[in-house]
Amino acid sequence: MKLLVQILRYQLVTSMLVLFLGAGLFYVSVRYLIDREVNKELFQSQLKVRWQLRHLETLPVYILQLGDSLQLEEVRYPGKVLVRETFMLNLAENEYQPYRQLVFYERALGQWYRVTISKLLLQRQRLMEAVVMTVTFIVALLLVSLLLLNSWLSQRLWKPFYKTLGKLDQYQIQQHETLRFAREETLEFDQLNQAVSQLTSRIATAYQNLKEFTENASHEIQTPLAVILSKIEGLFQDETLTESQLVILSSVSEAANRLGRLNQALLLLTKIENRQFLAGTEPVNLVPIINGKLRDLEDLIGKREIDIQTELQPVGLVIHPALAEILVNNLLTNAIRHNVEKGKIIIILRERFLSVRNTGKTLSANPEQLFERFRKESTLSASLGLGLALVKSICEVNGQTLKYDIENDWHSLTVSW
Amino acid sequence: MLPDGDGLNAVRELKRKFPQTGIIIISAKNSLDDRIEGLNLGSDDYLTKPFHLSELNARVQAVIRRRSFQGNQQIRFGKIVIEPQEHFVSVEGQEIILTRKEYDLLIYLIANKNRVLTKESIAEHLWGDDADLMDNFDFIYTHIKNLRKKLMDKDCPDYLRSIYGVGYKFSEQ
Repeated sequence: MKLLVQILRYQLVTSMLVLFLGAGLFYVSVRYLIDREVNKELFQSQLKVRWQLRHLETLPVYILQLGDSLQLEEVRYPGKVLVRETFMLNLAENEYQPYRQLVFYERALGQWYRVTISKLLLQRQRLMEAVVMTVTFIVALLLVSLLLLNSWLSQRLWKPFYKTLGKLDQYQIQQHETLRFAREETLEFDQLNQAVSQLTSRIATAYQNLKEFTENASHEIQTPLAVILSKIEGLFQDETLTESQLVILSSVSEAANRLGRLNQALLLLTKIENRQFLAGTEPVNLVPIINGKLRDLEDLIGKREIDIQTELQPVGLVIHPALAEILVNNLLTNAIRHNVEKGKIIIILRERFLSVRNTGKTLSANPEQLFERFRKESTLSASLGLGLALVKSICEVNGQTLKYDIENDWHSLTVSW
Repeated sequence: MLPDGDGLNAVRELKRKFPQTGIIIISAKNSLDDRIEGLNLGSDDYLTKPFHLSELNARVQAVIRRRSFQGNQQIRFGKIVIEPQEHFVSVEGQEIILTRKEYDLLIYLIANKNRVLTKESIAEHLWGDDADLMDNFDFIYTHIKNLRKKLMDKDCPDYLRSIYGVGYKFSEQ
């Protein structure tokens, strides 16, 4: 959810609460004022009525001129004075309406009277309506202005933020660039931009260092290895060596060879994980790569009598061509290496996936673990244990998914994109 | 990454001054781009470290052959004669039909005549990076055996000697 929408939500809830609370308070206080006013009027009327009743003999009877309904009832004993609210039928409008009444007792000409003065409270009902109307109007106004304000804010105030976000989104570490921003008026965004600038500059430095290290390691280790290997080969030519010395030398040579291959594979893995291969720009057709590789391996396939079935559509994924080569190579060699004699390999290439299925022994390890480096099913093979780790890294870097499934003695590796 | 400059510049310089020079680049850089760049500059071959001395030897001889006689020079070893241009192999005039791998193997053995060749170097020469797919070197043995048989069927002496624990040696003695 967008930040502004969330803010708007809170703003709305809060302003609603405040408004309704305010409306309630407003209503109560105005009502209190009106009640006080009505009470005052009632007591003034009481004074008039009293005075008139006391001077009943001398004055003409025009007490009804009070303007409000007045009721006189003869009672035997006086009671307590009280102010009350009641609903009475208004004959003129033929409906019940609220009245405020003052009830008191007065003696006139030796007779006690209960006097009830009533005042219509219609103003209050109108007030209520007015309050509701006003509140609704204010809420609507607030809503509209908040929406307008927010869209304006998102366009104006938040603009630098979206600009920074866009730049970060397109940031590519391989280009060694440090993101630079123009000065912003908003303090927070300016701070954010500075932080991003510093961060990207640190990343660029770290990346550069790492890259140099990999290159140096590659260069500097391969050279002594080449020396070791050539010296060993020189030694092999020595006719005076005994058989047991030759065997020892031979295992030294094997280990040095393996070290060289290991070094290269690890460097390749590091390069891929450092994303030193630029992302591909167009789909690489995998069919020629697969067929070429199968031709290279036909010796091996023939010797182990492996039956290959292919179902290839001329499609491919967007990837660096060198990585496509490694991907196919490792998937196929893996399928051959872990196959059984007279086994089968089925290669399927479709619009959105490449699947390599091969017969093999049942696995003891969790299949996902085979993607880890140096994880091997058997210790005797010449395999480095890096093949599937390479495939996995390539897929991760390029955003493809790699899945390993086992069904009985069928192993299948699927790359989908 | 040489002490006094880029190796590729050395190739450019050499090609400019002595265009006929055969050049093999030996580098620790093994990416495809590096290779292509090196070959585009006019080098004849590109070998990445670490490498087998016998491999370098074979490639040097191939370059010399190509450079000196426009590749038409026959390769002779004992009774064996090879026309590299036509991939034609014969023993005393009798043609021998070899598979591609057997042919490569024979060339490699002759280029490294009188030297002990390790099984690893043979495997790497024949299968390149796929060499580590061979869980053992039986595989080489099969090719060696077939080649030896084809040669001996045409009355060629057995030049190939197996060196216990190490590999093979191709020599006239």
